Amino acid sequence: MEFYKRHKKWFIVLFVLTFAICLSIWYLFNLKHNDTVDVKADFTVNALAFIKEFQQDMTSANKKYSEKIIVVNGTISAIELADTTTNIKMIDMTNNSFIIFAFQQQHLTEAKMMQIGDRVSIKGSCSNGAFSNILETEYITFKRCGVNK
Amino acid sequence: MKKTILSMALLLTIGLLYAQKKTTTSATISFDATTAIDALPKAENKTVIASLDTKSGKLAFESTVKSFTFSNPKIQEHFNNKGWMNSDQYPIASFIGEISNLSVVKFNKDGVYNVIVNGELTLHGVTKKVETTAIFTISGKAINAAANFSIKLDDYDVKGGAILAGKVSKEPTILVSADF
Repeated sequence: MEFYKRHKKWFIVLFVLTFAICLSIWYLFNLKHNDTVDVKADFTVNALAFIKEFQQDMTSANKKYSEKIIVVNGTISAIELADTTTNIKMIDMTNNSFIIFAFQQQHLTEAKMMQIGDRVSIKGSCSNGAFSNILETEYITFKRCGVNK
Repeated sequence: MKKTILSMALLLTIGLLYAQKKTTTSATISFDATTAIDALPKAENKTVIASLDTKSGKLAFESTVKSFTFSNPKIQEHFNNKGWMNSDQYPIASFIGEISNLSVVKFNKDGVYNVIVNGELTLHGVTKKVETTAIFTISGKAINAAANFSIKLDDYDVKGGAILAGKVSKEPTILVSADF
């Protein structure tokens, strides 16, 4: 007891530190992605111009857009249903290069209601652009998408 | 002239109907690298490009590494960093292979077929031979290919601190599914 009284100050510091560390760990483990629709966009682009930018210089386009929140305005060219998901595609018909959008769980219903030919504004996180050896064309993938409000 | 155009259109239609190379840009790959002390390292990519040649049995997949989505943004950041997948340097994971017992699959008959797939998996800039079993489900014109296997991260030179600390499984399980 005498020992505790003498070092009371240090016990309090230790307790506060332990509590702060536990709180930080709990916070980090329970982090979730925000709803992309509510996140401020870094860029707003037109689909075909965006594809062209990647075709002209893939490396610098990836540096500029990768992991950024982007609003893409364009026309739906294809809708792909797979598993439990629905992906939306905007295709440059002159060379088959495309952007593909995978939707956040809470926005899947919106994706399922879309139709080919619809003019839409989609907000999502740009993963990156690449050249597909399978399809022999450029493509850009988006994740965690939703319809831009 | 009209007859020529009609004949060409007919030939094109027949060609498309019997096209042997089928592709999708919405295949999915998910992996589970969770351990007893960390339930977070698991993710899914829903925009995988895949192709299947029903005549030769050739099969290919391409996945952009940054398209894997985790529930936790911090884990996603770590996954793409140099300590794990280093996705800026190695942006694509791919598989090129073939079905070695293609004759068991009747693409014109509904059913579930077990096949063996052999090929080369490239991950983190390292290419290794892999062999796994896969299930082909044929229903009308729809073909689903699914496989479930595990890899050793060490084989692909993936050796981050989280793996050494036991927070990430050294042998994650991978689930692949493609609808052609």
